[in-house]
Amino acid sequence: MTTTTVSSTTTLQELFRTWFNIGLQSFGGGTATLTMIRRQAVDEHHWLTAQEFTRYWGICQIAPGINLVGITILIGWKVAAARGATLALLGLLLPSVSITIALTAGYAAIRDQPIVQSATRGIIPATCGLGLLLVWRMARPPIEESRSESSASLALSLLTLVGCALLVGVLHAPVIGVLWGAGAVIALAAWARARARQG
Amino acid sequence: MIDPLLYFWEILKASLLSTGGGNIPILHDSLIAQGWVTDRQFAEALAIGQISPGPTGLWVICLGYLVDGVRGSLLSLVGITLPPILVLVVHRVYQSIGHHPATQGFVRGLGLAVAGVFLVVLVNLMTSTGISPETIFILLGAIGLGLIRRLPVVVIIVAAALAGIALF
Repeated sequence: MTTTTVSSTTTLQELFRTWFNIGLQSFGGGTATLTMIRRQAVDEHHWLTAQEFTRYWGICQIAPGINLVGITILIGWKVAAARGATLALLGLLLPSVSITIALTAGYAAIRDQPIVQSATRGIIPATCGLGLLLVWRMARPPIEESRSESSASLALSLLTLVGCALLVGVLHAPVIGVLWGAGAVIALAAWARARARQG
Repeated sequence: MIDPLLYFWEILKASLLSTGGGNIPILHDSLIAQGWVTDRQFAEALAIGQISPGPTGLWVICLGYLVDGVRGSLLSLVGITLPPILVLVVHRVYQSIGHHPATQGFVRGLGLAVAGVFLVVLVNLMTSTGISPETIFILLGAIGLGLIRRLPVVVIIVAAALAGIALF
């Protein structure tokens, strides 16, 4: 990966401070945090271009683990190699992890109070509702993509979605096997489709 | 009592073998099967992860705390921080494999599968808390509020907590 040569102390301090602020202020989930990172890294500090940012985000979506942590590492690395990645990551995680642990500790201390138990019984279905929205947001892009290809491709996508749910929910198949199996099946189908187009 | 090494390994494995929120169904599967986590703790951790700052993926740290205190949260932290470092490797090979139809297909298949399996997790969480007119009302209300752009998630969670206090 190409790294810029500017890695003066000021840049490193700026890098850490910027990610610390993101880690401190990014309440409100993934999209809000991503918007904040883009504004800081692209518009404010010009660490990378808008095109690079989009490409990085695409790479994070096929890399393991939390995508926002991935893009933090990539941008930090671009600014100042290993030192940059470490500082950006520390900046993001120090405030957010501390607050997360403090919030959880506070909750754990009162979780057995009757009033908190009632509140939790309200929060759990709400979390499920937000989860359903997330499922919808995850499933919609690949389904629309496959619909634009062919009805066979759309059918395969829907079958994968429903099939995976049934395999795990009804037959209790191991989750990792189902996830990777689905990836492999759709990969083969996409490859065959591409070859058919060429041939 | 949990085995810290084994717990760490489950967290690491789930995050290594998935991307984004894909570790949610894997962890639900493995940790509940081990009997280390209850559905209630799982849902609580997801909810706290939604309202705390930083990536939503930090919910695993909440889960670690609820299961094993500060030690559990630190094991979770390390377990979810190591896998994303591989993004540097993915970045290197992306030029050659990123646009291959099989890669794109794999990503699509994985995304669809995660969505499908996540549905199963949600059904389990709902069943564990009890499906009643009240809980369905809160679930639908959260979806409705969630569709409003720019409404912070914390507002939805607080509204749900108040509804819970009023209804149960």
